[in-house]
Amino acid sequence: MWKSLIRTITPLSKTTNCLLSAETSIQQQLRTTFILKRRINPPLSKKGGPPKKLRTRNYLYELVKDTNCDKQANIDLILTSYVDGLGNVGDRVSVKSYQAYDQLLLPGLAVYATPENLEKYKDVEVKDMKVYSSSTALGVMQVLSKITLSVVMNKDSPWTIQPWHISASFRKCCYMVPEYAISIPEKPIKGPNLDIEGKEFYITVTINKTEQFKVRCRIHHWSTNIRERLPYEEGFWKVPGELLFPEDEEIAKAQSQNK
Amino acid sequence: MFSIVSKLRPNNSFFSLTKTFIPERNYAARKGTRERKQKKKTKKEVEVKAKFIPHNQRNKDALLAARPILKVDDSARPLPFDDVYIMKYYRWKVYPFHEAVESHRQTHHPDMYNEPNSHLLARIELNMQGEKATRFVEDFSRIAAIPHKFEHGDERAIIAFSKTASVRQEALDAGAQLAGGVDLIKQIQNGGVSLQNFQYIIAHPDILPELVPLRGVMKRRFPNPKMGTLAVDLTGVTERLLHGISYSAKKDEHEKDFGLVEAVVGTLDMDSRCLEENFAALVQDVYRMKPKREGTFISRCLLVSPPSSEKFKVDHELYIEVKDDNTQKDVEDDGEGERVAL
Repeated sequence: MWKSLIRTITPLSKTTNCLLSAETSIQQQLRTTFILKRRINPPLSKKGGPPKKLRTRNYLYELVKDTNCDKQANIDLILTSYVDGLGNVGDRVSVKSYQAYDQLLLPGLAVYATPENLEKYKDVEVKDMKVYSSSTALGVMQVLSKITLSVVMNKDSPWTIQPWHISASFRKCCYMVPEYAISIPEKPIKGPNLDIEGKEFYITVTINKTEQFKVRCRIHHWSTNIRERLPYEEGFWKVPGELLFPEDEEIAKAQSQNK
Repeated sequence: MFSIVSKLRPNNSFFSLTKTFIPERNYAARKGTRERKQKKKTKKEVEVKAKFIPHNQRNKDALLAARPILKVDDSARPLPFDDVYIMKYYRWKVYPFHEAVESHRQTHHPDMYNEPNSHLLARIELNMQGEKATRFVEDFSRIAAIPHKFEHGDERAIIAFSKTASVRQEALDAGAQLAGGVDLIKQIQNGGVSLQNFQYIIAHPDILPELVPLRGVMKRRFPNPKMGTLAVDLTGVTERLLHGISYSAKKDEHEKDFGLVEAVVGTLDMDSRCLEENFAALVQDVYRMKPKREGTFISRCLLVSPPSSEKFKVDHELYIEVKDDNTQKDVEDDGEGERVAL
């Protein structure tokens, strides 16, 4: 208990302007409950008689539970604005405690689901409702729009990029994207051409035939002959590459902002 | 020795009378004798030098404990419900055989890897648990007969033994390198022919008594019906040994109940139907080694094709005949033609 008390009080003593904090930190809860069990039970006292004196051994305890290490229960919140993947204004949501504090309560996107707040947000007008085709569609969109898909094409035999090339490349990276969900740029991309090695272009993927988003692809030339293979670039996806079509610049900008 | 002493010193009769049993010599022992005896007395203390173990191998038990389990069970994961999804969060897709082959053909297309006639491998994962909890199925190597031949690239020389000339000729026609009878056995005993040059030894049961003296030379390669090398139909045996899929199931060194078979089923430029039939033959052959216990023997089948790292799971249950007593009787009534599980 003393440890946790010190933990809360020391920053107070150090910082003079504790008024800046939203709450006074002394009011923060201290989780100091330890559930204990007597190792040796005290002797039974006679009916109506005085309780028997406790011996030293009766003060030995075994730890049953340390509530400090307990898994925190979800927190019920009411959203005050639209949150991606969670819901719209007025929605009551149950979120993991850390996510609730860090991403919703602190930025002011939600409030606790107290009876007063429930009353307050009962009849809120819902504007611009975003509905996704499935609960996971947004997550997939977010992940896929961040990656750089390596499209490995042959260095020796001629090719023109087709949707099935992209689909196979996705599959190699453990993403299942069927051919019909992919639309490639209208301008044909032909090779082998070492001038376009490492250059990037954008394709459009459609999830469940509804949501569309762009995925960055990078061309890499691969030779069947080991000697002629280009050296592997460590962490190639971390370094932004040159664009194959200059008109894609807007998409690239929008994507880099989302990251 | 004492007699020699007395001969050398005949005038010492007084001493010899009083102290007859005291050995006495006034000459030095042979050179080096004392050192030799001293050496015998002192034991050699072998200094065991502490062997250097690299740091990453010191705590081997802990390393092994931290190793991922080879028996993959993804049944707890949900089935995908979007058409675009991230595979690691969902159960493995079970491909129809032709689709798995087609997917490999895509990556091996001249546009991409440019290896359209690469090998197609079947990776069969086995549950090597034996009949008892503490027993495991032993590692085994077999050759599975397949309906569609392909170039496997192994050298498989066969020597055939039979008393009848026609059987010998059949074996030679089927592709055996050498066939012979009693004369050939004698030649081997003389050293005229070496068995070292042959990978497989097959025999017709009629010559078995004459073949027994060669058991010591052949050792484990001695023809026996269990391995399928002792049979009446030598043509079939030769065909199987020459063109069949040679595979071996090996238990993992530390995970004893996990066995793995990796064998080439064909090449990607073959017809998918042929590949499927070869694969079915391999699965059925592996399944024959199933121990007599409850539960599954083959736990998972994957199709792989180098240089691609992709693995496609296929359903092996389609190719295994379930041997229930009821179904077997039904099948027997219907006739043999309908038992093919393809």
